Amino acid sequence: MALVELRGVSKSFTKGEETITPLDEVDLDIQAGEFVSLMGPSGTGKSTLLNLISGIDRPDRGTISVDGVEVTGLSRSKLADWRAANLGYIFQTHNLIPVLTTYENVELPTLLLKLSKSQRRQRVELALEAVGLTDRANHYPRQLSGGQEQRVGIARAIVAHPKVVVADEPTGSLDAQTSEQIQTLLQRLNRELDITLLMVTHDRDVAGIASRKLVLDQGKFVDSETAITMGV
Amino acid sequence: MHNYVFKTLWRYRTRTLLTVTGTAVAMFVFCFVGSVQQGLDQLTSGIDADRSLIVFQENRFCPTSSRLPQSYADQIKKIDGVAGVMPIQVWTNNCRASLDIVVFNGADPDQIQANRPIQLVEGNWSDFQSRRDAAIVGRNVAQRRGIKTGDQFSIGNISVNIAGVFRSAVPSEENLIYTSLDFLQYTRGLDTAGLVTQHEVLLSEDANPDLVARNIDKTLRAGPVATKTRRKGVFQASTLSDLVDLIGFAHWLGYASVGLVLALVATTTVMSVQDRIKEYAILQTIGVGPFRTLRLVLAESTLLCVLGGIAGTGLALLILGLGGFAIGAEGATIAFRPSVNLFASGVVVSLVVGVISGLAPAVQAATVPIVRALN
Repeated sequence: MALVELRGVSKSFTKGEETITPLDEVDLDIQAGEFVSLMGPSGTGKSTLLNLISGIDRPDRGTISVDGVEVTGLSRSKLADWRAANLGYIFQTHNLIPVLTTYENVELPTLLLKLSKSQRRQRVELALEAVGLTDRANHYPRQLSGGQEQRVGIARAIVAHPKVVVADEPTGSLDAQTSEQIQTLLQRLNRELDITLLMVTHDRDVAGIASRKLVLDQGKFVDSETAITMGV
Repeated sequence: MHNYVFKTLWRYRTRTLLTVTGTAVAMFVFCFVGSVQQGLDQLTSGIDADRSLIVFQENRFCPTSSRLPQSYADQIKKIDGVAGVMPIQVWTNNCRASLDIVVFNGADPDQIQANRPIQLVEGNWSDFQSRRDAAIVGRNVAQRRGIKTGDQFSIGNISVNIAGVFRSAVPSEENLIYTSLDFLQYTRGLDTAGLVTQHEVLLSEDANPDLVARNIDKTLRAGPVATKTRRKGVFQASTLSDLVDLIGFAHWLGYASVGLVLALVATTTVMSVQDRIKEYAILQTIGVGPFRTLRLVLAESTLLCVLGGIAGTGLALLILGLGGFAIGAEGATIAFRPSVNLFASGVVVSLVVGVISGLAPAVQAATVPIVRALN
């Protein structure tokens, strides 16, 4: 049984008089420990798919299950609890809380779990060590570089030991050198910590670090030949 | 998550400070109005107000115009239900409404010690009882006028030697100066030998106050001066009727202050939430549930309100405690005293207003469409 299962998932939006269908009857299986990249032209529903799997958006039709839990059937409140325990989200623009230090930002998801103070401290220290930011624990986001901020975002996404981590263009706002560091970090997390990763990217090189590449176009996954003709 | 609430308030410290200050000012007004209301309630209710009667000259209001024979006391004593009578001569520096009214009550010193719920905090009773021009001063007047034991205090034609300062279980009494009856009757200008302003009647335990009051007036109708007898609380409320109306109106000022706090804190919290709506979406993405989000916003608004409430209430109580304020008219006074009840009601009102003012923005933060807010 796959860790993440999507069956017949559709999502539409109305923009003025036009109806856009970024996802149309999509099926997808992601196995535990897989590193999957998701590519495709702008507006083809990559981020929408990520948001649906994360439970911060709901499909019009179809079901999404993660580790046997059908997330599409959960209430907003239950979804929040489920996300706290099972899902890590890496944003493109880091989205750290500016008034909190690096340590406090990473600690946030652990406050939502039933952990003692010492367990929380241990997890935060391990996550910061994994992203190489132990010496920046007391710095505020404004005191960090873009790459460091993204590493804090990654530490925050993995600190609760989630079953799956989704990343929405994690290198999209970084320069080439920093982007490479983040790619290496994501690969390491997947290989060494066996974290299941689903990453949206526009960059073919970044997509190349994943163990499986998926391409979305006009609401459907396309095969590798079509993807080549599309230039992705 | 408490850390997040405190740091968020600190992030917008100018806005936080302005809101807390505004709340403090409004709660200061609320407490001041509350103390006036409380002073009036204490004056017109309680054992002292219900279980004693005041015999006053009929159709007279200002103490200077009520002149009853002192001998009425002997007739009143014989009426059923009367446990004791204390003839009192009243002198006041101002019959109109004033914030600095000085009221002298002249009565038998032994009766004062036996019947009034007062305790000396300075001086001693024997000095008061042995010197003809001795006086004991209520704590409020002493504070307001800077009077100490041993001082000579003069006002109008009256000059007294201060034998002590007292506190009382009845706050309004702390605005009085007690002298001996003889001293006040024979003071130059008063010319009231054998006359008193009023008789205070102490009732026996089983007496019906209204029935005794009717009997007193009936008995004294045959005398040279007709009387009107009422419960002490009713007498004081009637004497201060103009002020009672004004205080009733000021009550609305108290409610307006609470409304002001509500509007102020609600505006600040709405602005704060709207500025950070994306932050709430981020928090919910990482697993903060809608109820926890609701509690975070309510904690912010409540903290703002309670901080302002404690500051405003505390300052009001401090000023009330140090100032010894009172308002009076026609010889009756209302004391503005600080009290634990006033502090507790100030804090509780702040707490409730804090929660109410945060409700709308809290619901907004808790139900934010996450994807739209992230974009």
